Amino acid sequence: MIQYLFFALSALTIISALYVVFSRNPMHSVLSLIVCFFTVAGHYILLNAQFLAIVHIIVYAGAIMVLFLFTVMLLNLNRETEPHKTNWVKIAAVIAAGMLFLTLIASLKMAGLGTYSLPHKSNIGFIQDIGVKLFTDFMLPFEISTILFMSAMIGAVLLAKKEK
Amino acid sequence: MSNDFFILMRSELGIMLIIFFLLFLKVWDGITENKKILQIANVLLLVNFMLGFILNANGELFNGMFHTTNLINFEKIILNFGTLIISLQAYDWLKNHKHVIEFYILLLTTLLGMFFMLSSGNFLMFYLGLELASIPLAALVNFDLEKIKSSEAAVKMILSSAFASCIMLFGISMLYGTTGTLTFVELPHLITGGSLQVLSLIFVFTGFAFKLSAVPFHLWTADVYEGSPVAVTSYLSVISKAAMVFVFISILNPLFENMQLMWYNMLFLTIVLTITIGNLFAIRQQNIKRFLAFSSISQVGFILLGISSNSTMGVTASIYFLIVYIFSNLGAFSVIAIVSNETGKENINDYKGFYKTNKFLGWVMALSLFSLAGVPPTAGFFGKMFLVTAGASKGNYILIIIAALNMVVSLYYYLRIVKAMFVDENKEPITKVTGSTSVQIAIIICMAGVILTGFASVLYDYINSLM
Repeated sequence: MIQYLFFALSALTIISALYVVFSRNPMHSVLSLIVCFFTVAGHYILLNAQFLAIVHIIVYAGAIMVLFLFTVMLLNLNRETEPHKTNWVKIAAVIAAGMLFLTLIASLKMAGLGTYSLPHKSNIGFIQDIGVKLFTDFMLPFEISTILFMSAMIGAVLLAKKEK
Repeated sequence: MSNDFFILMRSELGIMLIIFFLLFLKVWDGITENKKILQIANVLLLVNFMLGFILNANGELFNGMFHTTNLINFEKIILNFGTLIISLQAYDWLKNHKHVIEFYILLLTTLLGMFFMLSSGNFLMFYLGLELASIPLAALVNFDLEKIKSSEAAVKMILSSAFASCIMLFGISMLYGTTGTLTFVELPHLITGGSLQVLSLIFVFTGFAFKLSAVPFHLWTADVYEGSPVAVTSYLSVISKAAMVFVFISILNPLFENMQLMWYNMLFLTIVLTITIGNLFAIRQQNIKRFLAFSSISQVGFILLGISSNSTMGVTASIYFLIVYIFSNLGAFSVIAIVSNETGKENINDYKGFYKTNKFLGWVMALSLFSLAGVPPTAGFFGKMFLVTAGASKGNYILIIIAALNMVVSLYYYLRIVKAMFVDENKEPITKVTGSTSVQIAIIICMAGVILTGFASVLYDYINSLM
């Protein structure tokens, strides 16, 4: 059962991700990106990580995608306004990306990853367990990220504020 | 545990205290005079620098997330020292700036990030430290708020550093995927050189090369250095680079010990490209900040040469050279800061006839450039000599010959500026500039460093004893 669900979700993820890239209309790209995020959240649930799935939907499908939509609407992305790249740059980019893709596939194939089995503890992705982990083992990174947010906020306000 | 906490983390806690003190100073809004704020900040940084020398201890905290040793402590002292000098040097520029406190808050958060990066015992901590050290930097690069070039530099900086972080994170995730752990204690045994781990080494290496601005990942450097304010340029080229080198040393060989041959070959190629291309582009530059950007690229190549030897001697030589590099580069940047602040001139041609009007600053600049080039009486010569000797211990003479040839090339372009200052005629030379007392203090410290660190073998022996 889970296997069928996995394949269905994966197919949906890949199709929507491809549509993001190949769609001519930026609006369609953004909308299919939302579908992609939802299906990835479905994968998290299959992996027993409920908290991650919820956060993924709230943060990505909610906050970030709204920002994306606003940007796309405000920027008025036309064919004319887009910067044109020369053919050489395009060819070089395709070759470089293709080589990286080939290397990735080859190394994944050679690595011979073992089969995946679900974790023994069934409650591993619950909010309570994550909270406990966060305040015991990962205390220091958690606290440092607050300083990171503070400094990023100060920097953003500094740059965005209009000078009088 | 509680005592340990305060002693082991005292550098980080000190910086954090200063950050929050400045934050409250901002909110309180009681001191409005910039000069007073600058003096307070400088005194606080000096105290913080002194604090590094007392209560030295080794150990780890938070289940190995954070660890510190004598060597790491010494590296933190070096970074503190460099930040203090840059703060002194920025005095003239900041005293008329509207956002002095924000400058220090952002500057010190990046420093804090570097400290956590140095002390990290886990890739998660390392990554957080890296982000903390690079995100506020973009805001700092944009600190000349009204200049469009500064904004352009900030965008280039944030995009390229985000890209580099992404690549590095991809590499780290592959390591996690193949080993199931992120701690530096467990990883070395589990990294055996499987195909995915090779890929992850390449990605992590690429991320580091981006941050160190080693060729072929150097393209952001020149534009960012040119656009940002002089104080931030010197911070980028000295402090953040030194921190990355320190972390590179503590990650590359200890973690990827089983893949030595592989990373040596990667390093070999990077060194050859970095030194050569850095030098060739430096010859062509007209803007003095761009020029120093390319010269710093080629200097990084020499530091990597020391690291490539993979021995105690190489590491010692690299750290020693970084200290010398801090002195000489900051000396040059102090002069540029004074000139740029008082006249707004940043082209090499403007420096023609500089010696006739500014005797002292002319000599300071010349000495710093001699030291960067590695001319014998200055410390830079000893630094480069140790690096090349360490690199030669591996027996790869092609590398050494290329490095030596490049030293000759670098001599040409450093002396070109000295010639412009001392020999060339100029109808409108830069008028007499002095700079405030605090910049002069910074200059004198740098010059003392350039001359004395070369002769005092104490420093080299001290670093060696910390290994």
